[in-house]
Amino acid sequence: MARSRKIMRYMLLAVLAVVLTTSGVLRAQDPKIVSSGISMVGGDLETIDPGLAEASSQIEVINQIFVGLTAQDVVTAESGLGLASSYEVSEDGKTFTFTLMDNVPWVRYNAETDAVEEVTDESGAVRYVTADDVKYGMLRSLNPDTASPYSYVLAPYVVGATEYNAGEGSADDVAITVVDATTLEVTQPDAVPFAISIYGLWMARPVPQWTIEENGDAWTEPEFIYTNGPFALKEWAHDESITLVKNPFWPGSTTVPQAKLDEVTLRFLDPGVQFNEYLAGTIDAVQVPVEAIDQVKADATLSAEYVSGGNPCTYYIGFDNTEAPMDNAHLRRAFSFAIDRQSLVDNVTKRDETPAQWFVYPGLQAAPTLETNPDLGVKYDPELAKAELALALEELGLSDVSELPEIPYAYNDSSNHGAIAQAIQQMWTDTLGITVTLSPQDPTTYFSLLSEDAPLVYRAGWCQDYSDANNFDYDVFYSASSQNDTGFVDATYDEIVSKARTESDIDVRRDLYAQAEQILVVDKAAIAPTHWYTLNLLVKPGVERAPSVTGNEAYYLWDKS
Amino acid sequence: MGQYIVRRLLWMVLVLFLISVVTFLLMRSVPGGPFAREKRLPEATVALLNKKYNLDAPLWQQYTSYIGDIVIPTVTYGKIKPNAAENYLLNVPLPAMFGDEAVLRWANFGPTFKSRSRSVNDIFRENLPISFQLGLAALIIALAIGMPLGILSALKRNTIYDYLGMGTALMGVSFPVIITAPILQYFFGVQLKILPVSGWGDIQSMIMPALALGFVNAAIIARLTRASLLQILGEDYIRTARAKGLPERVVIIIHALKNSLIPVVTVVGPLFAALVTGTFVVETIFGIPGMGRFFVTSITGRDYPVIMGTILLYAFFLIVTNLLVDITYAWLDPRIRYD
Repeated sequence: MARSRKIMRYMLLAVLAVVLTTSGVLRAQDPKIVSSGISMVGGDLETIDPGLAEASSQIEVINQIFVGLTAQDVVTAESGLGLASSYEVSEDGKTFTFTLMDNVPWVRYNAETDAVEEVTDESGAVRYVTADDVKYGMLRSLNPDTASPYSYVLAPYVVGATEYNAGEGSADDVAITVVDATTLEVTQPDAVPFAISIYGLWMARPVPQWTIEENGDAWTEPEFIYTNGPFALKEWAHDESITLVKNPFWPGSTTVPQAKLDEVTLRFLDPGVQFNEYLAGTIDAVQVPVEAIDQVKADATLSAEYVSGGNPCTYYIGFDNTEAPMDNAHLRRAFSFAIDRQSLVDNVTKRDETPAQWFVYPGLQAAPTLETNPDLGVKYDPELAKAELALALEELGLSDVSELPEIPYAYNDSSNHGAIAQAIQQMWTDTLGITVTLSPQDPTTYFSLLSEDAPLVYRAGWCQDYSDANNFDYDVFYSASSQNDTGFVDATYDEIVSKARTESDIDVRRDLYAQAEQILVVDKAAIAPTHWYTLNLLVKPGVERAPSVTGNEAYYLWDKS
Repeated sequence: MGQYIVRRLLWMVLVLFLISVVTFLLMRSVPGGPFAREKRLPEATVALLNKKYNLDAPLWQQYTSYIGDIVIPTVTYGKIKPNAAENYLLNVPLPAMFGDEAVLRWANFGPTFKSRSRSVNDIFRENLPISFQLGLAALIIALAIGMPLGILSALKRNTIYDYLGMGTALMGVSFPVIITAPILQYFFGVQLKILPVSGWGDIQSMIMPALALGFVNAAIIARLTRASLLQILGEDYIRTARAKGLPERVVIIIHALKNSLIPVVTVVGPLFAALVTGTFVVETIFGIPGMGRFFVTSITGRDYPVIMGTILLYAFFLIVTNLLVDITYAWLDPRIRYD
């Protein structure tokens, strides 16, 4: 009797346990897992090696798993702290001394235990990320043998780096000095204040030397990789997806806190496929394909889940400033004033873009904005366009537009460039009576054509590498820039953007860039900017996406309820 | 027959060689290079990359070193780093007498310029099997639907069966996969949610792509089978077979069908080669990590080793299946002899 009562008691306890667990009272919180296709396209991610990355999809993954000295705040676009807990700038503004956090371990995902673990060295001690690791990462990108596609962005901001990168100098002469395990000193040739954000870019991140030396090019595979960021690499199914898992050992910094999500799977799907997956409810966040924008906006459910935000890129029409008849500034201005940018974004691109009045993206550091400089740059003005055309014809000694030679408008035949080209062609016909000849090209052919001899009129775009106006106005249109296809050369412009580069007062800098833009897009009208990009996403309810102005998602700020 | 096959295999080597030369010259004459980007890389960086991939050498040297890496076997000692530049398709461990950890390695199809950590052989190893499964499934569907449909239409010529069968076939031929695939995807994946929208791995995810791809080809096979069978049924020897009192079943299966298969087999051979090496449209629409994508992206991205690899692979499959087709002829029609 006593025995059976005891059994009864155990049974009751067991039932209670089952009820409590299934009802969630005792159950551990559900893991927060998100799947996303944002920034991704079909095919494989070509690399996740910080020294080799070039596409934004690759950089996005790297941002989640490798943290550099500094990190861009995705909301303010300012440079914040990453691996460095603080830094000091020397009086001449050239030497940066970084103090690194001393508690950031290298980690890896262990498939057998299904957990992220700290990496230990031969003696069993945890391997922390040190100043040596950062130095190694920077030097590896600069090493000519690495052939890093983006080393050229870092090189101008480290003494001796340009020579080393070109194969002419030695690694010993590159001014990156390890003072001790947590102190790193970097010296740049000029006193450029925004160099601080360059030192945090992907090609300047710390990388695990021992595994790179042991495993060569395959070190980024899950079985060999070691990372230090808020997420670790769990799985890389080539051509399908990449799965990141929360790294509990990342202590968090003000800009890159600890991840709230437990796992993120990024699926490599073309936008159209992503969209269908989203409709089927099998993916949490996607980019909206160009052809589905109308459908999304018209649908009650989808329009409520639609998110649009800034994307630091500028779309523009380039002119060959050196070849007749486009060497005539009045003619270029006529073309630029005749583009109805608002109509273009409302009726053709339809992605809530902002008509661009100038070249540099307004969200960047020191860039003019529509609030600070509402009247700067170009706006649609058909009367002014016609007046400029009359001046141009007079200068060219022509009595009518029909006497102009054939003007081709070249573009790479992908995305919606064709639709944009047709719309602009029509605007020019309507306002100026000039009908340009559309010349679509295969993208690779097109990009090499631009570098050899730019067509008279062509489409182009530019997205940020780092968040500073210098990345647009200086890096692209400084006369000696390799990205400058227009042939635009202007001594005053060069002088202004050079001065802005080393100026420390941000308001003075903004004013200088406004002056430079006035020359670039109005006085000389070297290009006709058309619109500033947006990001157009769909995010399922319950998934809390962190807003980002950088064009890249910061999954370490995402949450799920 | 044995001699014939050996002769054909020798021809294959010559044909592959010619294809490799022509492809190499064609792809190198197209403007743009593998490192042309919208955001231009500095000339110095492009020079470094060209040097890394031996693209700065004279063209003939690039070709010979490429072919040399494929055809000339090498022996390595000790462990080699996983490395895109030293990735061999065949790795045969040698006995200890040849040296410490000696491995005979053969067929290095080179790196892909798009990814430092993968090689063309990785694509063959990882992506080709997926396309092979999909292609095989589609071919089985094509034959399983197409042949019975064609036979039925031929036997019941000018009846409602014929009209229905050929109507279906006409529809199949007229609707390319670029239309049927998204329709299937939207209906079964997005609306009914009974099949996965995209992906690969389980049976469910194979159904829609295999059907989309199989249906178009089923239609082609059905029309071909019908036409061929109708022609054979009018032959004298069929009348003879019937006259000597053979049951209709035997007449059709043994005498008519077997002989009518020759045109079908002629088409199925190259079709097999095309299907199993990957189909760009279906793989893209259903997000399948197969090989089809590489045929297109390698050309648009000027990824030279991948262009060479995919074309040589396709050519190899084509030549081998054509040889199999020729051997099948001899079995189908005893009058065909190759000696």
